[in-house]
Parts: sequence; C-alpha cells; structure tokens
Amino acid sequence: MVSLCGRAVLQASRRSLIYAQARCKSYEMPDPIDHATGIEKRQLLAEAAGNDDPFNIKPIKRGPSTKDCPTLVPSAFDSRIVGCVCEDEATHVNWMWLHQGSPRRCECGHWFKLVYKAPL
Amino acid sequence: MNFMQMSMNNHPFHMVEKSPWPLTSSLGMIIMTSGFIKWFHYKILLMFLLGILIMILSSYQWWRDVTRESTFQGLHSKEVYMNMNWGMILFITSEVFFFLSFFWAYFHASLSPNIEIGSMWPPIGIIPFNPYHIPLLNTIILISSGASITWSHHSLINKNFKQSMISLTTTIILGIYFSILQKYEYNDAYFTIADSIYGSTFYMATGFHGMHVLIGTMFLMVCLIRLKNNHFSKNHHFGFEAASWYWHFVDIVWLFLYISIYWWSFN
Repeated sequence: MVSLCGRAVLQASRRSLIYAQARCKSYEMPDPIDHATGIEKRQLLAEAAGNDDPFNIKPIKRGPSTKDCPTLVPSAFDSRIVGCVCEDEATHVNWMWLHQGSPRRCECGHWFKLVYKAPL
Repeated sequence: MNFMQMSMNNHPFHMVEKSPWPLTSSLGMIIMTSGFIKWFHYKILLMFLLGILIMILSSYQWWRDVTRESTFQGLHSKEVYMNMNWGMILFITSEVFFFLSFFWAYFHASLSPNIEIGSMWPPIGIIPFNPYHIPLLNTIILISSGASITWSHHSLINKNFKQSMISLTTTIILGIYFSILQKYEYNDAYFTIADSIYGSTFYMATGFHGMHVLIGTMFLMVCLIRLKNNHFSKNHHFGFEAASWYWHFVDIVWLFLYISIYWWSFN
C-alpha cells in the first residue's frame, strides 16, 4: 500500500513538472486566436467571421408567428426549451418544450418551429 | 470528456467534470481548523500541519486542473470568463466584509476606551509602533507594488512580454520585502496579542493582512510561471487579472490599517 501510494505521488508529481512549453525567440506574445483552443477558439473564429451569437443564446424577435409562418428556433438537438414573452407588457416568460417536426403553439397564440443548426 | 462530446455541447458554458479536490480540500479545511484549536489550546501542532498539507496539495492540484481546462482544453469561453470575473468580484467583496469586522472591533474598542484600559487609546502601558518608521516604508512598498502590477498588466495587454516579466518580478520582490519587514516589526514589538484589546485587535487585523500578502505573493508567483510558460494572451489572462485585483485589495486594506491603526492611534 505504501509503495503504491508512493508510486502514485511520484507519477503525479512528475506529470505536472514535465510538460511541453514553447516561446519564440523574439519574446512576442501570441495572437489571441492562435493562442486559444477548443470551444474558446471556435467562439473567437465565429466572432471574427461576423457572428456575434454563435450558440444562439440571445433573444430572437418574433416574426408573424402564425401556424403557416412560425418563428424559427435554431437548435443542434432534437428539442429545445423556448421562452415566449407573449405580449410587450408581459412581466413573465412562458416556457415550453419545442420538439423536432411540427410547429408548436404557445398558449398566447404564437407559433414556433425547431430548425436544425449544426453545432459550432 | 472527449472531443466529440465537447463539440456536441452547443453552448459556451463549462460543464465541469468529476473532481476529488472539493472533497479533499473540505477535509483539509476541517482538519486544519480543528488543528488550530489543538494548537492554540494544547500546543500540539501535528493536526494543523496535517490539515495544511492536505490544503496545499488539494489547492495545488485543483488549480493545476483549472489551468489545464482553460489553457490546454480551451473550455473557458467568453461567458465562462465573465462568470469567473463575477466570482472574483464577489469573493473580494466577502473579503472586504471580513476585514470590516476587524476594523469594527478596533474602532469599537478605541473610539470609546473602557475604564479597564485607562479610558485612553492606546491603553495604559502599551507602546505602539512609530508609524513614521517601518510602517511608512511598508506603505511605500505596497503602493509601489500596486504601480508595478499595473505596469505588468498594461505590458501584457500590449503584448510586451519582457516588460511584463520584469514588472511582475518587481511586484513579487516588493511583496516579499513587505513580508520580511513585517516579520522584523513583529519581532521588535513591545506588545503581544495577549496585551489588552490593543494587542488583540492589532495582531488580528495586521496578522490577517499579512496572511493575505503571503497568499497574494504566491498567487502572483503562479502568474509569473504561467506568463513565462506562455499561458496568457493579451485578452485572455484571467489568473493574472484575479491576482492583480487581489493584490490591489490587499494594498487598499493596508492603507486603511496604516491610517487608522498605526497612524491615528500614535500620539
């Protein structure tokens, strides 16, 4: 047990000490987009391409919102929760699940439809 | 979490993974505080040392993981960055109120001194520090370090690596110099924490400030290592920002300590 613990500690300490690091000779700081990776980088690239809401989390303005012409809600999944501010003066938000397929009507009469949008 | 899952999460928020560090640091904290009681009441140091060892190992590994998540996995999007900013603002606000309680105790005792301490402040028999000697030098050191950390931050934003390294190193050296002087001052003190309400409030306030300086210095040292290892870019360096906010906070607390405890109570 002691040797096992000792080995685990030794391995863990070695792992944190040895890792790749690089810096160019001129001591220049990296460009923020070059420096980033993962979701951070994809977000920065989307913004550089002019898309300031790459994850579609900002509120959207309703269109006519009828059954024939519903408000389109983008999602990368089969369903998404939609919050409808039914009237301009409304003091609360009405929430409902919206599923892939047929459009759905909020109790106030506005129609919504889920459209697929590839994930970032 | 593998890459596929990461790319399927179509949102900018960071869903943290399972981690042992909240558990181990909680255990470390309860052992450390219980160890304080054992230390203060029975003069047995062992439990405190065990607690602080667990705390150091847990926090080192927890923050190492956070560094990996942000720098190497890119999980800190703009929204995550903003939330961490708010986390640090709320943390420093809580620290302000922590120190406010010590100032409250100090002013409660000093503005209307009890008959037991001679109805005067400082109490009878207490020889306070001369605020124009080391405490004044300490004030100059901390204000200078506040200037040098700002110099470092502006250099970082302007992609000037060399200047940022030099000024951050300067800040750390000034922080260490402050701690050394404070230790020297404590060794030379004419009163202890057991000498009246003056000693109690003085060492409670300046002692906790000293602890914060030590922690802030370590925080800045971690930033220096991360800066050297290319972890920061000009608009993504939260660790650095948090460390500099913390340092400014410690700096401002010192100014209040100096004015109200060192200078105001010295006749």
